[in-house]
Amino acid sequence: MTDPLVEIKDLRIHFFTDEGVVRAVEGIDLNIKPGKTLCVVGESGSGKSVMALSLLQIIHKPGQIVDGQILYHRGRVAGGQFSQNGAVDIASLNRKGRDIRSIRGAEIAMIFQEPMTSLSPMYTVGNQVMETIRLHEKGISKKEARERAIDILRRVRIPKPERLIDEYPFRLSGGMRQRVMIAMALSCTPSLLIADEPTTALDVTTQAQILDLMLELQQEFNMAIMFITHDLGVVAEIADDVAVMYLGNVVEYSDVDTIFNAPEHPYTQALLRSIPKISATRQPLDMIEGMVPSPFRRPGGCPFHPRCTQALASCSTVVPSLTTLHENHIVRCLLHEETGEEVPRG
Amino acid sequence: MWQYIFRRFGYMLFTLFVISIISFVVIQLPPGDYVDTLVNQMASESSGVSAEVEEQMRALYGLDQPVYVQYFKWVRNIVTRGEFGYSFVYRTDAREIIMDRLPMSFALALGAFLIVQLTSIPIGIYSAIKQYSIADYGFTFLGFVGRAIPNFLLALVLLYLSFRYFGRAMVGLFSEEFVDAPWSIARVMDLMRHLWIPAIIIGLDRGAGQIRTMRANLLDELNKPYVDTARAKGLSERRLLWKYPVRHAANPIISTIGWALPEFISGEAIVSIVLNLPTGGPIFLAALFAQDMFVAAGFILMFSVLTVIGTFISDVLLVWLDPRVRLQ
Amino acid sequence: MAQKQVIQQPGLPLSDPTQPSTTVDLEIASQWKLMWWKFRKHKLAMAGGIVVLLYYFVAILAEFFAPSLPTTYIDQYVFAPPQRLQFFQDGRFDPFVYGYGFERDPVSFKKTWLVDEETVIPVGLFVRGDEYTMYGLITSDLHFIGPEEKGQPFYLLGSDKSGRDIFSRIIYSSRVSLTVGLVGVAISLTLGILMGGLSGLVGGWVDNVIQRLIELLMSIPNLPIWLALAAVVPIDWPALRVYFMTTLILAVIGQYSWTYMARVVRSRFLSLREEDFVLAAMLDGCSTWRLIFKHMVPSFLSHIIASVTLAIPGMIIAETALSFLGLGLRPPVVSWGVMLQDSQKVGLIATSPWLLYPGLAVFIVVLALNFFGDGIRDAADPYH
Repeated sequence: MTDPLVEIKDLRIHFFTDEGVVRAVEGIDLNIKPGKTLCVVGESGSGKSVMALSLLQIIHKPGQIVDGQILYHRGRVAGGQFSQNGAVDIASLNRKGRDIRSIRGAEIAMIFQEPMTSLSPMYTVGNQVMETIRLHEKGISKKEARERAIDILRRVRIPKPERLIDEYPFRLSGGMRQRVMIAMALSCTPSLLIADEPTTALDVTTQAQILDLMLELQQEFNMAIMFITHDLGVVAEIADDVAVMYLGNVVEYSDVDTIFNAPEHPYTQALLRSIPKISATRQPLDMIEGMVPSPFRRPGGCPFHPRCTQALASCSTVVPSLTTLHENHIVRCLLHEETGEEVPRG
Repeated sequence: MWQYIFRRFGYMLFTLFVISIISFVVIQLPPGDYVDTLVNQMASESSGVSAEVEEQMRALYGLDQPVYVQYFKWVRNIVTRGEFGYSFVYRTDAREIIMDRLPMSFALALGAFLIVQLTSIPIGIYSAIKQYSIADYGFTFLGFVGRAIPNFLLALVLLYLSFRYFGRAMVGLFSEEFVDAPWSIARVMDLMRHLWIPAIIIGLDRGAGQIRTMRANLLDELNKPYVDTARAKGLSERRLLWKYPVRHAANPIISTIGWALPEFISGEAIVSIVLNLPTGGPIFLAALFAQDMFVAAGFILMFSVLTVIGTFISDVLLVWLDPRVRLQ
Repeated sequence: MAQKQVIQQPGLPLSDPTQPSTTVDLEIASQWKLMWWKFRKHKLAMAGGIVVLLYYFVAILAEFFAPSLPTTYIDQYVFAPPQRLQFFQDGRFDPFVYGYGFERDPVSFKKTWLVDEETVIPVGLFVRGDEYTMYGLITSDLHFIGPEEKGQPFYLLGSDKSGRDIFSRIIYSSRVSLTVGLVGVAISLTLGILMGGLSGLVGGWVDNVIQRLIELLMSIPNLPIWLALAAVVPIDWPALRVYFMTTLILAVIGQYSWTYMARVVRSRFLSLREEDFVLAAMLDGCSTWRLIFKHMVPSFLSHIIASVTLAIPGMIIAETALSFLGLGLRPPVVSWGVMLQDSQKVGLIATSPWLLYPGLAVFIVVLALNFFGDGIRDAADPYH
């Protein structure tokens, strides 16, 4: 097993609102492997986006990391550009400090869901792409930065990048904007790219193009990708590993084949059943019963128990711990606690 | 872009045309004209005037012609000769009265405008990034108070305070030795030293409003996705703030800066009347009371011209600042 | 009104897995109820609302609340300073004011007012005083507060140049000044909804023409035009006609005139046109009128109410300014602006600063209306 690039350990993120505390992320343990794609799947409100933002320490107020570690191992990049060894705990860095800023954009980059609003309409594409380059590569001249920007725009398959670099984002199509976002993120060859539902706002054809592009560039740049999505079709297409989240917990984690072929957690099973299938017989679509509970009323015990069809009496009181079923297959469910082996807490 | 500017320029000319009609017609509306006033005055001084003489006087002043002819002559004279018509009260062309006072009106309105823009936007930014701090509450309070005190009332209160504590009105545009002095650098400096008090009185209302707008806009912008993008790049908070959200939040304010000008001109007029400043306001009011129509119409026209030109400039400014407008 | 809806929620709770379904009561609050909840949390807005209600209440019953008539005068008490209301006499609650005395400066012969602690003027609640007829219906002489003996000097906020009570006159003025706000806004709102609605609904060249007209009116400085128009109003017109003319002028031209309302209405119409629920209603075959009145108007009514509340203070200030300059309402009508005319003479405010009290009345009600309006606007915005 390869050493992880990022280790998330017992991460807890709470939002302190006037109405009460929202426990958006409630004890996540997760590894991101260098050069691989990790898909994080979950319904809205599962905490997947918040978790992604925490990797760069850009959670919005009143959100706050209250506990846990995000260990980032600089040395463990497959290409080995970074010589420093040892881990940085991102969770402990000052969110406005120099240390986290030198990681943002340069080593861990992020692209967002809405390509329409994620770029400022006030500045040209070139301005916004070059900004990242000039920020992290000291001493680079304006002209060099521009050439680099054109080069990276070309690599994300933008036609006529020399001309487009002086365009304003609002004059581009959604797909083009998302390419610009990707170019911006890749401009400093990060070792981890976080993509928060980057294709949700795009139409299906563009979506496929963007996904292909990302996979291609992943090979080229040799970077890890953490891909946040609720679309299982996308997961099947791009993931190496999958983490399924529910109400601030990772309930199941494994490689993509295991998740799709032999899921163990009732929630994962239910999710997979809810994918529409093309079959000869018409049958009603399986749905997960009930709704995601209000964030203020997180159920006790296993948070999924009110909707779980296989729930035991103890599920409403006992918090299940992480259980390793096989190598690279972890599940958080009481049904499997006896059969598996408890993951030792780091 | 040029098309846009030309179109705005066209609107400006059209607006000026309509305003010139309005100015003229409004002044024509009161029943009776200056000759009536004069005749009444003479009658009261027991030197009666015959109907014949009355008609002669009308002909002399051109008041016997139809309104549109009078209007046309009036506009022609303004455009070709810079003459605004005869002032019955001052017995000279209205231009001299208007041009004597208008620059001071303009200076005061512009001073108020600059002070408001240079203070309210930074204060609004500060208030937003230090949301719920003591300073933020202070400025919010000031904002409400500023909006609730009409500027002429503020001028009155200030007048009272300066009497109470200094024994005389401290609010003029010049120190005593410069009141009637010819223009010199020293006089300009003296004007600068005095200008800011009436300027603040004029601008407080608008300034208070802008602080609140800027604060609200910026608070909105701070949570926009493009801010996350910029932060995820590794920009420092300060650079990020100024380059993205501030720029976005200031745009609606800058784009409506032109609309503020009528307010400043109005404010200048009334505050000058209260404080009896040597600007257009008091003379304009007196002209209305005296039915000195060409002076009054000339002032309305010139006040409007200033604001319309200002609006045009702010339109051009907006084009220059906002690529979304520029590239349409 | 709140509706109760029963939502079936299978699988909740799971303490007894054999009983898979149970019901949960969820209250669905109406838009107005949500607004009220949000508004109630806004302390300043609540306070503002109470002050505004109080003002209008006093204005409606001005005759009763004012200690004297606006025309009552005592000519020996000209420019008398405010009396301090004393609450306790000989250790028990028995409100009174001291009488006036004065001395003359032997050189300048100027009169200086003194407090005469020898003379005690008892003050009572619900006392008999000047006789009045309220709205031509009720004749009475009952006053909320006043001197127990009619005709005694009672000037809580001082007296004016004719020896009239400023406090009473401020109360009577509120009737005029506050209704100018309401009537003016009503006119501008009617015009604004008409023009703005037309602009937003018809679009095309109609929209273009109306927009140009609004821009044109907005680029003219208000005050000079107001003054010029007000100067047109003949001197011999009756008070009521002057009142309506002045209000009309303010409703047609100015920052808070119909142009403001029309812009609010138009932008609401335009943004609503893009909303999904409007499209859904349209696809459902909803008729245009039904669409407007059943779906669109209710959803921007709250915005209109907020804009109206914020426009009223603008109107009040404008009327005060016009009357103050002598070109709006004129005596014998009393409004805050008319009262402030006296303070135009610089020497007078120096010696009798209480002439500025009508300004304080304006300030307080405008402040309260602004708080109130801001509260409504925040509550009306479902996205904050």
